[in-house]
Amino acid sequence: MSRMSCEQIDELAGAYALGAVDADEDRSVSEHLASCDQPHAEVRDLIGAGTALTAGVLDVDPSPGLRDRLMATVAETPQEHQPQAVAAATPVAPDTEPRRPRWRMQPVAMGIAAVILLLVIGLGAWGLNLNAQLAERDAALRAVASADAAFAVEGTAGSGWVIESGDVAHFVAEGLAEPPEGQIYELWLMDADGNPTAVGTIEDPDDLVVVALEQDLGNATTFAVTAEPQRVDAPTSDPVLVASLEG
Amino acid sequence: MTDDRELDARLAERIRGGQAQALGELYDRYAGTALAVALRVVADRSEAEDVVHDAFVAVWKKIDRFDAGRGSLRAWLLTVVRNRAIDRVRVRRTTVDVDDADERSLLRTGPNPTWEDALQRTSAADVRVAVAALPDEQRRALELAYFEGYTYREVAEVTGVAAGTAAGRLRLGLGKLRDSLAGSAGAPLPAVEATTLSEDVGR
Repeated sequence: MSRMSCEQIDELAGAYALGAVDADEDRSVSEHLASCDQPHAEVRDLIGAGTALTAGVLDVDPSPGLRDRLMATVAETPQEHQPQAVAAATPVAPDTEPRRPRWRMQPVAMGIAAVILLLVIGLGAWGLNLNAQLAERDAALRAVASADAAFAVEGTAGSGWVIESGDVAHFVAEGLAEPPEGQIYELWLMDADGNPTAVGTIEDPDDLVVVALEQDLGNATTFAVTAEPQRVDAPTSDPVLVASLEG
Repeated sequence: MTDDRELDARLAERIRGGQAQALGELYDRYAGTALAVALRVVADRSEAEDVVHDAFVAVWKKIDRFDAGRGSLRAWLLTVVRNRAIDRVRVRRTTVDVDDADERSLLRTGPNPTWEDALQRTSAADVRVAVAALPDEQRRALELAYFEGYTYREVAEVTGVAAGTAAGRLRLGLGKLRDSLAGSAGAPLPAVEATTLSEDVGR
């Protein structure tokens, strides 16, 4: 949208104050107000008018269970600015339960034989373009062949496995969704306190993904994948894939 | 800063520190109003409670973007409620990125002494009287825009007027509401007739 004139800004004072402009206009008005040397007193005066409109609404008591439902969700929801454990910052009575990582999902116990079976089935499906993926296949097979443990990875971006072989761990997946435009996947290990360590990135996932993690699983309790604009030191968004490394 | 805002600012700080209990206190303060706002938009209690739940979760997640020095936590929370409620009923229109809407709403939640001072002195009943006293076309435009999530262009379509006229009704309606709530303290709006609005607006 081209730059708006001061007159246009003033004419949209009411609509802007209520958020009743489309997103482009909204940005245009905001940018204009931030940079214009005119006072635009009327626009600024009307901002916050929604407070008055909501002040006239009669309160309605929520159902008794809504608060509990909210608090249960919050207990499992990381904040954008501190994806470390909520429990660490929340004063609660000490308990004997081990602290749960906040990205924990349903733990999936999986026998190594079953993992191998699944990968063999998967490799069968990849057979048509196997020549292009020989190196990845070999890496996947080596990881599986010497696996000590495997952990199911699941999430909105697809599914896969973290396979631990001695002091080496791989993330293996087939058919991962592409990260959002302009973003990459970043791989994380988190300890029981929710402290994240970056252990790799995937910039443009092939149909078959095999990534050697940059360090062993150590005392990590959670593996996670987030979409990030670039490699970062701590996750800035909710994970798109998660695995519990416990049990 | 009023007592309410100071209390809200402290709650925001505790929520930012990861204290879920503080979010519970925020819920105790505003869940009733939040549900009322959600119900006003979605008109279904179960769905409205889902909206309230999601809005408080969003405040929990995004609290770091909120600056108590620049805005009212209550106003932001209720705007987040409204954004989510509108997102649910917006089936006939283009989907709006609700997170983007939350972000932009941060710029619109005050603090604005014009409204805050007026509301300190008036009751909810006074506000309802003031809204009811607006000319029908202005009140209708405000309700469509705020509680039903229409842009001024959509208000124009629904009410069969030019976009500039709809924008003018919102401007005039809010101005009258402000003056009514503020008594004689509010500076009168310039005498702008909707029909004289710039031809460029609304195109």
